[in-house]
Amino acid sequence: MRRRYIGALALVAALTVSAITAAAGSTSPDRQNATKIVIWLQNDAESNWASVVAATNQAFKARHSDVEVDVQYQTWGDHLTKFDAALAGGTAPDVIELGNTETTRYMAARLLQDLTTARGSFPNSRTWLGALTDSCTYRGRLYCVPYYAGARAVIYRKDQYKAAGIKSAPKSLAAFRAAGNKLMKKYGKQRNYSALYFPGRYVWASLSFVYDYGGKIAELRSGRWVGTLNSPKAIQGLKALKATVGPLSRANNTGDEANPQQALVFSKGRVGSFIGNGWEWPYALDKKVGNPSLANKMGAYAMPSHIKGKFMPAFLGGSDLAVPITSRNKSLAYDWIRTFTNNAQMRQLATVGKVIPNTTTLTSIHARNPQLAPFAAASKSSYFVPTAPNWVQVENARTLQTMLQSIFTGRSSVEAAATRASSQITNILNRRT
Amino acid sequence: MSTGPGGETGFPALTAAAAEAAIPRRRRRVTRHAVARTLAPYALIAPTALAIGAVLGYPLYLLGRLSLQQFGLAELILQEGPWIGFDNYTRLFHDRQFWTVLLRTFVFTFVNVGLTMVLGTLIALLLTRLGSFMRLLLTTGLVLVWATPVVVAVNIFRWMVDFEFGVLNWTLTELHLGDFLNKDWFADPTTGFAVITALIVWGAIPFVTIMLYAGFSQVPEELVEAASIDGANGWRVFRDITFPLLKPLFVILITLSIIWDFQVFNQIWLIRDGEPEEDYWLMSVYSFVEAFRLGEYGFGAAIAVVMVGVMFAATFVYIRQMIRIGETR
Repeated sequence: MRRRYIGALALVAALTVSAITAAAGSTSPDRQNATKIVIWLQNDAESNWASVVAATNQAFKARHSDVEVDVQYQTWGDHLTKFDAALAGGTAPDVIELGNTETTRYMAARLLQDLTTARGSFPNSRTWLGALTDSCTYRGRLYCVPYYAGARAVIYRKDQYKAAGIKSAPKSLAAFRAAGNKLMKKYGKQRNYSALYFPGRYVWASLSFVYDYGGKIAELRSGRWVGTLNSPKAIQGLKALKATVGPLSRANNTGDEANPQQALVFSKGRVGSFIGNGWEWPYALDKKVGNPSLANKMGAYAMPSHIKGKFMPAFLGGSDLAVPITSRNKSLAYDWIRTFTNNAQMRQLATVGKVIPNTTTLTSIHARNPQLAPFAAASKSSYFVPTAPNWVQVENARTLQTMLQSIFTGRSSVEAAATRASSQITNILNRRT
Repeated sequence: MSTGPGGETGFPALTAAAAEAAIPRRRRRVTRHAVARTLAPYALIAPTALAIGAVLGYPLYLLGRLSLQQFGLAELILQEGPWIGFDNYTRLFHDRQFWTVLLRTFVFTFVNVGLTMVLGTLIALLLTRLGSFMRLLLTTGLVLVWATPVVVAVNIFRWMVDFEFGVLNWTLTELHLGDFLNKDWFADPTTGFAVITALIVWGAIPFVTIMLYAGFSQVPEELVEAASIDGANGWRVFRDITFPLLKPLFVILITLSIIWDFQVFNQIWLIRDGEPEEDYWLMSVYSFVEAFRLGEYGFGAAIAVVMVGVMFAATFVYIRQMIRIGETR
């Protein structure tokens, strides 16, 4: 019987929308004596730099003793669905972390507070990372504050490389494959061993191959977006991807890098290398869920390009902090962001969280640290998604995941899968929003 | 069908009230009794009708209204979308994906209802033949299955067919049925849907079985005995005596199963980690993705309206039959 109610989701959905619609009618005016601000951060912060958040809250409370700070951790999979509903219901948070590929849609819809005139009041606003600042800028106005960036590099087992006779970090894609083959020869008899653990739906690492061969996801041609994953160069990249991953990975072709967390799979020992973010290194060593005994056996290097001596363009991921227009405590929200992104916290974020801080003045932290340098190097040659207002809907529709999965499982040819994805991307990017 | 007649039930009550007002004063005393008697049933049904109208009729009205609007993220915030007539429907009916999903949903419903009914009937028949201890054991098992929350059931099935640690993969390999280690059941939608169907049929069997068992125990034993003496085998007894006698029960169970299986959402959504591939989209998933993932609330609502319509059509035959059965009794 239960199923009837749960299953009638469409109706429930309609109800939710209507309830939300009804509730939002009673928005009260700006109240500065409010006692609580709600912050939505992604769970990366919870598992990797909770201490930074705690320190921020403490510093913030020292100035605003009467204000309660409620940090609610979200997951990447559904935080936008929740955010949309909360926006409509007037229950949106006062500060939200948005991925740098997610901001355009909300900026274009004017749902984030315009911070252009307040820019100077935020720490390091002159030296923010250019790529992140760009993701916060729409038609010349600023709508969010850069939080952190990250680029992926190859994280590997030094001991296994040595035992398999691989003397140095590969300098080209061909050398990378040769190294992988050596690892498979040495360890491949172990069940589930992967020289390169690479789940089928790993979008951001996969697209590096496309950009390495000169391909692109989409481009703007006289005012209209056109999906270009089926261009000859992109196809070449996707084929190189399949040829690399196919023989070296025994990861699930229908899984992604977060389910299960690839760093944790790595920590169990049957993985020679994986392509991960800086924070995934310490995560693999986590006392509770990882394996601390690998501490001296791990290394990292930037993924080599098919052109010898170059690096493959890495996806420049990152996050921004924005204040939704519905917030009733905007000045408190600004102040919380200022505290969270000041020099002290950013330095902590870089050292504890192993991510790239939001300001160029602190990048030396990475350059000096052997555990962080490969990721900083990888970020120097990077790619980014098309800056179309609808881009996030391509992510939400899981178009790229579907394409990669069809390629890796062999359900369709590279050409067919790429053509299909391309036309879907064209369709979504040109929809009216 | 619980969604249907909700909006209309208020009607007769209104007419009755109007009739009362029209009655001349001097005759009122004589007919007060009669009027009260006419009104009583409506008064009794009014709270139910109101509740149904509020929780089903009104949302359904809103859904229909939403489906006639251009409703995206911007409109969600403004809380009002421009009227675009039937544009959402035109777009839907020209979308090849819609027809694929609709066909897939029909096939899925047919297979799941069929398997549920056949297996449910067989187990119910088995129950009638078992000794009391085994019957108790089996019934307890059925009730436990029924009591398992969907989320838990989905996780159990997910682990059983897990890529690396799946106990099903291991068992099949140990039985030398092939190499199922690292078998990715969801790479191919056929095997993927086999797992989902197993999960849904498994969860639906207890209700059908227990209802049918109750029905079977009501079939007069003399009839069965007489037929057996006349030389009828088990199949003939079922076909010519048990089934015709319990036809109304079968009709109700099939109808309910169709309603449940046509709108399956949770199992698919959860077993695919909230990111089901297009090959796994049924109507409900399609509607959800369009509305909440792509932010096309109006278009998503149109899909939901079509879904409600299809369900009405599919169950209409059965509802009519149920009413007929009621009349002949």
